[in-house]
Amino acid sequence: MTPGQVLLFAVGGLANAAYLFIVAAGLSLVFGALRVINMAHGSLYMIAAFVTVVIGNQLGAGLGFWGGMLVAVAVAGAIGGVVEVLVLRRVYGREHLVQLLGTYAVSLIIAGAVRIVFGANYRTIVSPIPGHIDLGGYSYASYSLFMIAAAIAIGGGVWAMLYRTNLGRNIRAAVADPDLLNATGVNVTRLYTTVFVIGAALAGLGGSIVAPSQAVGSSIDTDVLVLAFAISVIGGLGSIVGSAVGALIVGMVISFGLVIPATNPFALAFVFIIMTAVLIVRPRGLFGLPES
Amino acid sequence: MRWGAVLVLFLFAALIPPLAGLNENLNPDASSRFQIFLATSALVLALWAISYNLMLGYTGMVSFAHAAYYGVGAYTVALIFKRYHLPILVGLAAAPFAAAAVGVVTGLVAQRAVRLYFSLLTLAISQLLFSLAFTWYDFTGGDNGISVTVPDQLSDYTTLYYFTAAVVGVCLLLMFLLVRSPFGAALLSIRENRQRAAAIGINVKVYELAIYTIASLFAGVAGGLFMLYQQQAYPEMLYWTANAQPVVVSLLGGTGTFLGPAVGAFIYVVLDNAVSKQFPYQFDIILGAIVLGVVLAVPGGISDAPTVFLRLRERFHRGEKAEAAPAESAGEAIRMFDVRKALATDAIQAEEVHPGQTLLQIEHLSRRFGGLRAVEDVSLEVKQGDRHAIIGPNGAGKSTLFNLITGQLKPTSGAVKFDGRDITGKPPHVIARTGIGRAFQITTIFPKLTVRQNLQFAMLAHAGYTVRPFGLASRIFSAEAQELAEAVGLGAWAELPAGQLSHGDQRAIEIAISLALGSKLVLLDEPTAGMSAYETDKAMELVRRLATERHLTLLFCEHDMSVVFSTARTVTVMHQGRVLTEGTPEQIRHDPDVQKVYLGELEQEELGA
Repeated sequence: MTPGQVLLFAVGGLANAAYLFIVAAGLSLVFGALRVINMAHGSLYMIAAFVTVVIGNQLGAGLGFWGGMLVAVAVAGAIGGVVEVLVLRRVYGREHLVQLLGTYAVSLIIAGAVRIVFGANYRTIVSPIPGHIDLGGYSYASYSLFMIAAAIAIGGGVWAMLYRTNLGRNIRAAVADPDLLNATGVNVTRLYTTVFVIGAALAGLGGSIVAPSQAVGSSIDTDVLVLAFAISVIGGLGSIVGSAVGALIVGMVISFGLVIPATNPFALAFVFIIMTAVLIVRPRGLFGLPES
Repeated sequence: MRWGAVLVLFLFAALIPPLAGLNENLNPDASSRFQIFLATSALVLALWAISYNLMLGYTGMVSFAHAAYYGVGAYTVALIFKRYHLPILVGLAAAPFAAAAVGVVTGLVAQRAVRLYFSLLTLAISQLLFSLAFTWYDFTGGDNGISVTVPDQLSDYTTLYYFTAAVVGVCLLLMFLLVRSPFGAALLSIRENRQRAAAIGINVKVYELAIYTIASLFAGVAGGLFMLYQQQAYPEMLYWTANAQPVVVSLLGGTGTFLGPAVGAFIYVVLDNAVSKQFPYQFDIILGAIVLGVVLAVPGGISDAPTVFLRLRERFHRGEKAEAAPAESAGEAIRMFDVRKALATDAIQAEEVHPGQTLLQIEHLSRRFGGLRAVEDVSLEVKQGDRHAIIGPNGAGKSTLFNLITGQLKPTSGAVKFDGRDITGKPPHVIARTGIGRAFQITTIFPKLTVRQNLQFAMLAHAGYTVRPFGLASRIFSAEAQELAEAVGLGAWAELPAGQLSHGDQRAIEIAISLALGSKLVLLDEPTAGMSAYETDKAMELVRRLATERHLTLLFCEHDMSVVFSTARTVTVMHQGRVLTEGTPEQIRHDPDVQKVYLGELEQEELGA
């Protein structure tokens, strides 16, 4: 492999890591504050991807995508809010099995609804940032570079939200001790809804951003969910830094695994081998929080 | 389980082919062949779901890898038949062992993590096996899977149905015997309360791995049968979302009953067939709605589902309940008599001092949490037959010391010797077996099991019977457990779920569990915490009486000084992780250091209050 190729695949890996980080950060944020693994996280991602494609194409190529993204993130956040109020509120503090099954039921319902509304066919949208950047004999899609920049910006935004705002301070306090936070006069019930809506919006943002680079179909919910799980587990559930590190590892493994002929068929298997190895050595992931 | 229901199910299963034929005659649209095919698939699904429920319903483990073992079973049959040209029944016989082999290895890996992370690890394992099946073209056929033409003997659908029914029936019987065996009792105790299960001497991890492997074994049988009637094995069988099927089926039928998932499987297949034909996507929504309904309607958790059903049943049997009421008040009278008798025996015994040999010896024991020295260089001897109290202000290290003795914590340095054996750093279940019983600060019993079962399961574990996968657990030590319940004054409540008793009575159960384990030394961590004055008196009378009657050695810590001075013969005072002094209650009462450090602080607390 030449240095030029390595750079090409590394950028590909970064682009994978970019959308996966956005999705996994939402999953991890929700777990950190609410201690719930949201099995419907991939479903929110899928809805947003479909909404982006449909609305974006309706509004017209190029600028239409951004309108679609706006609507998609709003829709994902709104559905997240409804799910939190109707389902999650009743399962906080109960055994993990109940939470897994409750959010899993939501994912089944959304999957069925998406297939009824959008059909089973794959859909695509043209990239809003067309063109390539040529470097050392290889061309890099501008949109991939945009995805990487967007992920860095979103990561910075989430960090600023957690460490520079009152909301973030309350979220971190809720991670440490929700009862004490409640006793200091913070409405923890509303805080949980807010966190879940933010997590859902991040899932939506991920689905929206990925739409121009991949075909959008009705099975992308479980595909992305299992990768987001792997990232969260490798990085450690509840840690945003962990999500970034996990996303980098998974993104790179997929990118390089797919282009090396000997490992091509087993690229995805490597992700799960790493996931298993990390859990065996560090049962809570690289940066994980202890279970409540 | 109702034997009538079993008979009805059995007859129903046996009559399906003729009924399907009848239906075809009456209704030309309904192909009997297709209906028998559906019935076969329902049987296989039932077996798969019940094997899943062995983990879910009986131990509370959530695995995402169960579909993978099902898939391994199917692939084993296909590969042995197609690649190695051996009879298909050889493949079917090998399927459970292949699945169990994969199950035990991957289960061992998954067990490195607990609860939620355990589930996620099984997910990773499942995806790993899936991608193996999906990409290993030369061996598994990749995404095409393997198609097999089943040989003549089993190609007839009615024969295949009866063959499947027979295999499923045998498997269900084996699983049922397992659940009712002492081994099953151990599983139940783990689901109810892991900490207490370890404290009665059960090696939780080993039992969990055992049931995980057994469940994968039966999933392998189900997968092999699937291969027979579907005539193919394909990688999607192993994909993690495939686990939804047994979970939903278990929820449909009820996770708390053995045959529930079998009923759920028939409902699932009928529903699937009815809905999916016309509305392929609506079926997901219906399944989601059902799961959501069960999750939100059952208050405590999935394992609470049985109690909901029991409560419903109680409504029908309320008449009998009312008649049972006088027995309870009679029980109360007996208990009052017990207390008076205990008072009498205690008056005689209190004067005696047992010199005795050393039973528990603690040597220079230390435990640090980062910079905090919770227990620092503690040396202590507990003599046989003594009632030894450890007192000290909050944070003195009493509970840490107890946790070091019973193995919940491992010491940083030092040694613990019990009855001449070194038990330093041994796991809780091993220490429980050497003869140290413990009542925890927060009452730790099996709340949903009856009082009698709480004691009976402890006896089974103590006798080492819980390794037995045969025999009826409910028949072993039943009378002994009842006798013990009566000895601690709980005879009238023996058939009530332990969690329904008062706090004081639950404490008594915990002490009785120690007795059931034949413990020589019983550790009581604040035995009267949270009790009323009346309950405290009653509880301590019981403790003193049992200690006297059964020659127990007691080691307890307690904040209530009247309890300490009325019960203890030796008192050790701890302060900031160290032993301050030791002596008889009289000596301690008059020790100026103790007054300064402990009683002084106590007075301040009282002034402050």
